[in-house]
Amino acid sequence: MLLWTVPLLPILAAPLVYVSGRRGGRVRVTLLALLVVAAASGLVAVAIAGDWRGSYAISSALVLQLGLTPLSRSVALAVPLIALPILLFAGFHERPPLGRLLAIMTAFVGAMELLVLAEDLLTLLVGWELIGACSWALISHRWQDASAPRDAIQAFIVTRFGDLGLYIAAAAVFAGGGGFGYQALPDLDSGPMQVAAAGMLLAAVAKSAQVPFSAWLFAAMSGPVPVSALLHAATLVAAGFYLLARVQPLLVEVAWLMPAIVAIGLITALAGGVVGIVQGHAKKLLAASTSAQYGLMWVAVGTGYPEVALLHFLAHGFFKAGLFLVTGIAERQTGSYRLAEMRLGAQLPSIAWLSAILALALAGLAPLGAGWTKEQIVSVAYEKSLWLALGVALAGGLSAVYASRFQLAMFGRSSRRQLGPPRIRWGERLAVALLAAVTLLLSLAWWPAAQFWLQWGLGLPQVDSHLWLLVLSLALVALGILLGAALVRRGAAWMERDWARSAARWWELVPLTRGSGDAVARLADRLARFDARVLEAATRALAARARRAALGLARGDDKAVDVSLRGSARSATWMARFSATAGEALSWRLPDSLTGMTRRGGRWARRSQSGQTHHYYAGIAVGFAVLLLILLLSAVL
Amino acid sequence: MLLTLAWGLPLFGALLLALLPRRSESGARILASIFAVLSLALLVWAWLGFDSGGPLFQHVLDLPWVPSIGVGYRVGVDGIALAVATMSALVFLASIAYPVDTKDEPRQYYAWMLFLMATSLAVFLVLDLLLFYVFFDLSLVGMYFLIGRWGHGKPQLSALTFFLFTFAGSLAMLLAIIGLYLSLDSPSFDMRLIIEQQPLAGGGLYAGLVFLGLMLGLAIKTPLVPLHTWLPQAHVDAPGPASAILAGVLLKMGTYGMVRLPLAMLPDTFQRYALVVGIIALVAILYGALVALGQRNLKRRIAYTSINHMGYTVLGIAVAASVSDNLMAKQLALTGATVEMVAHGLITGALFLICGSFWQRTGEYDLDHYGGLAQRAPLLAGLTVLAAFASLGMPGLAGFVAEFQIFAGTFAVYPWLAILAVLGILITAGLFLDLLRRLFFGRLPAHLGQFTELNWVEATVLGALGLGIVIIGVYPRFLLEVIDSASALLIGGR
Repeated sequence: MLLWTVPLLPILAAPLVYVSGRRGGRVRVTLLALLVVAAASGLVAVAIAGDWRGSYAISSALVLQLGLTPLSRSVALAVPLIALPILLFAGFHERPPLGRLLAIMTAFVGAMELLVLAEDLLTLLVGWELIGACSWALISHRWQDASAPRDAIQAFIVTRFGDLGLYIAAAAVFAGGGGFGYQALPDLDSGPMQVAAAGMLLAAVAKSAQVPFSAWLFAAMSGPVPVSALLHAATLVAAGFYLLARVQPLLVEVAWLMPAIVAIGLITALAGGVVGIVQGHAKKLLAASTSAQYGLMWVAVGTGYPEVALLHFLAHGFFKAGLFLVTGIAERQTGSYRLAEMRLGAQLPSIAWLSAILALALAGLAPLGAGWTKEQIVSVAYEKSLWLALGVALAGGLSAVYASRFQLAMFGRSSRRQLGPPRIRWGERLAVALLAAVTLLLSLAWWPAAQFWLQWGLGLPQVDSHLWLLVLSLALVALGILLGAALVRRGAAWMERDWARSAARWWELVPLTRGSGDAVARLADRLARFDARVLEAATRALAARARRAALGLARGDDKAVDVSLRGSARSATWMARFSATAGEALSWRLPDSLTGMTRRGGRWARRSQSGQTHHYYAGIAVGFAVLLLILLLSAVL
Repeated sequence: MLLTLAWGLPLFGALLLALLPRRSESGARILASIFAVLSLALLVWAWLGFDSGGPLFQHVLDLPWVPSIGVGYRVGVDGIALAVATMSALVFLASIAYPVDTKDEPRQYYAWMLFLMATSLAVFLVLDLLLFYVFFDLSLVGMYFLIGRWGHGKPQLSALTFFLFTFAGSLAMLLAIIGLYLSLDSPSFDMRLIIEQQPLAGGGLYAGLVFLGLMLGLAIKTPLVPLHTWLPQAHVDAPGPASAILAGVLLKMGTYGMVRLPLAMLPDTFQRYALVVGIIALVAILYGALVALGQRNLKRRIAYTSINHMGYTVLGIAVAASVSDNLMAKQLALTGATVEMVAHGLITGALFLICGSFWQRTGEYDLDHYGGLAQRAPLLAGLTVLAAFASLGMPGLAGFVAEFQIFAGTFAVYPWLAILAVLGILITAGLFLDLLRRLFFGRLPAHLGQFTELNWVEATVLGALGLGIVIIGVYPRFLLEVIDSASALLIGGR
């Protein structure tokens, strides 16, 4: 049971964070949020030491299970650690009141921990949907805007479309084995196993913003900067990668799954790389790079090395969070995310240096840790095929292009204009410095002794590396950096070309995503009109006609009063007596109640007399007559 | 005795209100609330005394009434009836306590409310087919007057449409009930006897027609597409609390009836048509969700989500009736269907009460009229978000517990239906997020400058419903145990 404290602590403490931030201060609420998340990471450490487990039975068929594996241990520890500097930054960067923002971010960490620690698909689904809901609330943080809530809906709907896969996967596992546990996966029959694999793949593609679901990340950029940092580095987007890494060893029997993962990952890495190169919006550049970097992790998972992917995930988490925060600081100076308006190197020299470390990590340059993890992916890709390895190396080169372009456009020097004194708080600076420091620290990964420790501690397999491949890959990185610098120097004119504009819209995935949403809305509108004008109008016309007929009857058409009418009249009299005792106010409605009853009778009567009535009711009447006849016959026989 | 009091007390309260001299608005409401609380307390008491390991029907009272034709006063509950009845009592209490414009006739309004409460609870509590039918129809009368007298727009016509349509369904059901009755060797309206004897076990045309009659009547009440056309306008023109009852309680009579009558009494026939019913349910799920998305009127939108949610319930029931021998999946689906009834009652009850609050403040349901209200009414916004997320199936809230079980159970039996049905929760998510955006986000229009936050009564009532939704979401065990006791016997007992 103890392991439940890890996800529950942040979730249950979130209301406290909310309340403490209502009065508008920064310090208290930020401190509380940091304390809660730090406590959560401490709990993870204790849980690892004590090998905690957790289970909670909803009913005999539904049991939620938590547990720790080597993979989930690392991610469970990394999530709050990456979240801490982001929360610190949020506390100093955003405008108070901060209660709502920090509370939801805290709860988000808890929900992510639930997802990470899940040992079965039901628990996973619970965490999976909760982080989706949190992301909706966070992206629409500026709810007074017209656009942010719309974008939040798009992000939620696209990712939830993927969630449907998880519902189906969970149902398939249940249908195949009677439970929801991951451990049931390898024992499934081929059919349910393939369905489960497909469902999980769909869920992961959508959450990880892989092709063709990459566009929602652009919409998600409407959220505040710390929210983007949290979503990209440690939580929402990470969930897709994590799920695949977690279940990949259990689904090796599904022949098509691994090639599919590799293909999706590589395509996203290459396509996303180009998107990053042509994007003029700083946050969207980072968003495209997130898709691309997760694409690289997918390749590693698909080649059968989830541990390698995990390492790249950790390195990516720290530098990507830092880059988003840096972007937030830059935006505070210029009031825009447009790269063309930045060039803040002279104004923010220290931030520029920190950003340079983070950007070089994104570029994958040695000796930064992220460079090593990326080279590991190149190496494992080479085990599958040379072309795959070259593809990964090329994707690495592309990320070097956009990384250097990002850095130089953001923090290059320019004498064009003078901004006021830098607007930056110490907490923001500290948060970025922390993330940059960790990124630097990860450079140790190049050191053989540290690699030995990683192999022992994380169960990282020994990967053969090839010097020529390493040289080639690093050469591509260097070339990419130079190319990026050249692009910045050349100005923005080339971005106006048709292909570049199209690529900047995520190769038209952005309008496509919006278009499919609009198509569903149009279909809904049409159906709603059909429902109101055809089905409902007919019903109401029928009722209105019955009413007119009844009113006519009530004026004295005695002939029509048949048995059923008398019956209803009797009940109306009863009603009348009831109303009469109830007093005058009720009895003025008597005619209404009477007509309510007689209308019905009138309808019957009218049909028996004239036969001119709506086909619908005629059909029902015939049906009744037949039914009655058969009943009578059978009673007699 | 417990159950008799549970539905008898509200009836007594209704008479009391009708006979006693004029009362003030709040006086009448408090008196009615007291009777509703008492009734709810009795059902909770019955719940506490319910043995999940015991026989199917408990708290049974069986008094002879007209022995010559086999009519008796028979009440009793299984886990399903108990859960639905208790939920209904809670929704009634919430609706009665919720402030509403009674047009200066508080005594009459609350008398009709209590009358409706008594008849509705009786539908779930009686074990005699004839009484079931009588109360099923009497509830129409109560709702007819509530809509017709205290509604807005064109309440007369809406109430009439509602009445005619559902009454036509009742007549179909009456014929089928008589058919069931006649098929027994020694005719009786005792439900337990019919369930035990399974008179129409052989199937055939006769059984098919009886099944058709029952399903037709119940499907109109539920309502299933394309028999849903009476529903939206009845909702729009009804006062908020009456809408909450219509959606929260009256629709459940349809699905509860499907479990109690066709599923328990005609399992063989239901089995043959289970796939057809499942497909119709799927159509209701998708059509209801899409049409709801297309609505620009707050109340109509929520009304159509009811069609979608009741579609899930019917899907679960169809799976439970199916030919599959995966008993675990069938039980999961039936339990899920019942939880969906309870969850939908609470969630949609809350949503319609919220609609009532909007109407009380502005007299407008058009979504384009609103915007930016999170600033003026943060509590209303928060509670609406809670109810909306519960309705779109967010884990940790009641709807998820229901829908997940239905999907998982359905997939094991009809995989394609399950795969298509999950699309419903995607559309539902879209329509509720869009609803929240239009009501609460964006800029506050000038004409809403005087919009007031929930008062304490509204906040308390909605808070209580919200609490119920959360409790079922995170600790559904207390509910699932009771329901499972019934669904296990219904599924396994064949």
